[in-house]
This record gives sequence, structure tokens and C-alpha cells, in this order.
Amino acid sequence: MTDTMIEANGVGKTFDELSALTDVDLTVRKGEIVGLLGHNGAGKTTLVNILTTMLPPSTGSARVAGFDVVRAGHEVRRRIGLTGQFASVDEQLSGRDNLVLIARLLGASRRQARTRADELLETFELTASAQRQAKNYSGGMRRRLDLAASLVGQPDVLFLDEPTTGLDPVSRIGLWEVLERLVDEGTTVLLTTQYLDEADRLADAITVLSDGRVIASGTAAQLKADVGKRAVHLALSEPDRAADALHTLRSAGLNPAQDTAAGELTIPVTASTDLTIVVRALDEAAIDVTHIALSEPTLDDVYLALAKSTA
Amino acid sequence: MTNSGVVADQSALHPREWRGSSIGTQLRVLTGRSLRALVNEPRLVVLSLLQPLIMLLLFSQVFSGIAQTSAFPPGVQYIDYLMPAILMTSGLGAALQSGIGLVTDMKNGVLGRFRSLPIQQWSVLFARSAADLIRTAVQLLILLGFAIVLFGFSPAGGFVGIAAAFGLALIVSWALSWVFLAVGAWLRNAETMQQVGFLAMFPLMFASSAYVPLEGLPGWLRAVATVNPLTYAVDAARNLALAMPVGGGVLGAVATSAGLLAIGVFAAVRGFRRPL
Repeated sequence: MTDTMIEANGVGKTFDELSALTDVDLTVRKGEIVGLLGHNGAGKTTLVNILTTMLPPSTGSARVAGFDVVRAGHEVRRRIGLTGQFASVDEQLSGRDNLVLIARLLGASRRQARTRADELLETFELTASAQRQAKNYSGGMRRRLDLAASLVGQPDVLFLDEPTTGLDPVSRIGLWEVLERLVDEGTTVLLTTQYLDEADRLADAITVLSDGRVIASGTAAQLKADVGKRAVHLALSEPDRAADALHTLRSAGLNPAQDTAAGELTIPVTASTDLTIVVRALDEAAIDVTHIALSEPTLDDVYLALAKSTA
Repeated sequence: MTNSGVVADQSALHPREWRGSSIGTQLRVLTGRSLRALVNEPRLVVLSLLQPLIMLLLFSQVFSGIAQTSAFPPGVQYIDYLMPAILMTSGLGAALQSGIGLVTDMKNGVLGRFRSLPIQQWSVLFARSAADLIRTAVQLLILLGFAIVLFGFSPAGGFVGIAAAFGLALIVSWALSWVFLAVGAWLRNAETMQQVGFLAMFPLMFASSAYVPLEGLPGWLRAVATVNPLTYAVDAARNLALAMPVGGGVLGAVATSAGLLAIGVFAAVRGFRRPL
């Protein structure tokens, strides 16, 4: 039991008779990184707010790091770090002063606080801008400072609410690498995201929320297996040969469909050999393509597949 | 990003053992934060000084003729009459600013972070209030400096009288700032507060004994001024500065302030506790 760092039992939340969360169960073990996947309004942030003691649940109960979020909120707050959707830094203070402030509030001495701040500034490559006011930081720098601020006290459990939203691809990957190292060092992470690829890359397990309910949970591979098909998208160099191409691919045992744009086809892929079959069949029929791409399932695909399977 | 450990100890630090600080540390560190924000934004301090300075300049010149009228206390310079009122109204303005500052601060993401820290949430409010009190004191002292050096403010009460008027203005301002902090914590809208604040402040300031003696006001305005609490606060500060008999005025002002303070603190802490 001491191994369970986050435990939610039948958590529900109602705002003015509007139900934001219904009967959510969630278990995260020590050192795990769990992705909370869902669209805007699915209830991800509400769940994070309940687990970080910012909001009381309307029903059910939750424990974080072994403490009840309602009855022992203070103990929970001593052991967690939170990076919300909006950078929670003091715009008026410099990056360094922001980190020193948090460390001091956590109980570090002045000297310890400064040492810790400098350590984190270096880790997050903010040393050069340490003395600048946070309001002059770029979006990416602000995000990094925010993450650094939530790591000041080496939290046992780290909550990240859409940490890469609004980040450029390079910063996004940089943040992923930091998170992976954190988990290696034993931190437990709950991460919300709208991106399947992000959850796929980082999370040991994924819980999918829709309209405040858990509609699926499992590993990324399990979810993708549920969703089934990736798909090949292709554009023909001669759009008027679309019928030809459809016929050829059907003969090869595939199930192609014509897209709305002329001369473009989508072919669901089930086995890894299917891509080869597509290429070979078209080549043998002397049909040229200008563009071919293999697409991974998106969050929408997961939703659609889950909606179908539960219907 | 560099490849060093993110949370692992790299030095002799043991951040995992930092599990919270004493309430004294919280108040000190958070007050320091608010003061540092002021130091980093000196423009705001200068701007908030500008309005009382302009009033001091305009009123001391425009209304100085009042000192010759029969309603005016004989033998008193207008600047000596005016300055205690300027202290009181500046304190009123600073109190409103305090509430608006809280609302602005609540938009600042860091208050959200404070909620996830193992600290007492009310310490955030008290620290803001302490910083505002220091700011107001500095503001009033600068105003006093200008009044003494440039306008020849030299009331009969001398240094003791000035210090007492200053102290009273600070007490009233502090109590009112908690009322505005409470309004801010519940309303959470800076624009509305600004507008409501100005709408409330101007009648309060002018329909009072702040700039002219009550006897010099038309009848209906005098009636309003007689029930205006600011009249009594201004009169008390003025009597202290001018070494005139204060009667129960000072006690009344302090007692009223204490009452407002208690209500304000209670309502502000409750309002602030609601989710952001």
C-alpha cells in the first residue's frame, strides 16, 4: 500500500449542478508516470485540482503520497509539486528570486535556498537570465521556470497539467527528457495531455477521460490495439485514376476509401506488412503517387473507437 | 537542458527534508516578496504619489483664500489646515490601491502556486497587507517632506502633532485597506474595484471637512459631511496636528478603525480561501 502514490476512489465533482467529474478511479504507483488523456473540458484539470488539494471533491475520496487530500491537505502539499496550465511564477520577480522564494517557503535557509535556485536554473538552462524579471521571459523559458519551481522541494509526486501546451517542438522534447530523468530518480508523475503521442512517449499507463468519466485505461499499446488501425494516406499523381487505384487495392485485400479531396485515398492498416502491400500493388498497376504517409491514431480515433466499443 | 540530475542531490542539500516553514518565516518571506515587487516597479510608487502631490499643490494655492473667511479657525495657515486631510485622503487612496493590488496579484500565477505549497494561505494576505502598510507609510512620509520643505507646513502641534496625525492616518488607512482587501478577495475584478472605489472616494473626500470647514459648505452638503466618517477622521488628525482639543475624536477614529479591521480581516481571509 505504501507503494501507491495516488489513489482516487469514486471521485466526483459538481459545479453548480453541472457534473465535471463522475466516479473516477485512479491508481498510480511509486515511480510511475501516468498520462491523463482527454480533450478540453474532459475533466483533467478538475481531477488534478482535487488531487493537489486545490478543490474538494463532491463525492468519493483521494489519497496522495499516503495522505487524504481533504483531511490532510497540508501533509499532501508538503509532498507534491504542481505545474499548472498557466505559468505560476511571480512576474515581478527575477527567475532566481522566484525559486529562492519557493525554497524559503518550504523551509530552506537563505543560503540553501540560493544554492538550490542556482542548481535548478542551471538544470533548466536559465542561468543566463537568472536576474531578469520573469515577465520578460519567453513562453518556453517561463514554462521551464515554472517546472523548476515545482521541483524545488524534490516532490514525491509531481502533477503536470498540459505541460507542453504552447511550447515549440524543441522545448517540448527538452521537457520530455527532463521528465524521463525525474522518473528515473523515483518521482511519481501524473501528467495531463491532449496529445496521444506525448502520453505514448512518456506514460507507463494512460487513463482516458471523456465528459468527466474514465472511459479507458491501460498502456499506450493496449489503447492503440483497441483503436486498431493506423492508416496510410496517399495522393495520386493522376486524380482521375482514383477508381483504378481503389479497385487495385481491394484486389490486394485492403479496404481503401476515397477522401473528399480528388485523387486522395485512405487505407486502414492492421498489420505492419500492409504498407508494403499498398506500395507494391500500386506499383504493379503502374499508378503513381505524389504523396504517401502513415498516420498514427489520434486522440479522436481513441475516442471514436472507445465510443464504438462501448456502444 | 543539461544532463545533471533534476531532483537528485548535487550538493549537500536535502530538499526532500524541506517540508514547510514557520509562520514567521512565511510572513517575512512573503512580505519581502511584495516589497521587492514594489522596488522592481518604482513607477507605481511614483505614480501613486503623484495624485496627492497634485492635490496638495492645487488646493494649497486655489483654496488658500479660505483662510481669510470667517468660518476658518483664526490664526491658522491653510497649508496647516489642509495637510492632515491630505494625509488622511492619501491613506484612503492607498487602502483602495491595496485591494486593487490584491486582485492584480491573484491574476499573477504565483498565488496559484502558493495554494499548492504547505503554507498558511492567510499568511499571503497578511504579508501583502504588511507590505502595503510599509508602502503607505513611506508615501505619507514623502508627502510630509514635500509639505514641510516646499509648502511651509508647520502646524502648532509641532513634531509630536505631526507624528500623531501621521500615525492616525496610517491606522485608518490600514483598517480601510483590510476592507478593500476583503472586497477584492470576493469581487476579484480590478476594473470594477477601481470604478466603485473612485465613485465612493470622491464624494467622501469632498463632502467632508477635508478641504474647507463644515461651516463653509452649503446646507445640504454640510448635512452629508456631518454623517461622513471621513470628516471625523480628518478632524481628529487635524486637531492633533494643530494642537487643538481632540475630545473623543481620536478615540472614536481608532475604535472605528479597529472595528473595520476586525470585519475586514475576517471577510478577507474567508474570501481569499475560495478557489482561484
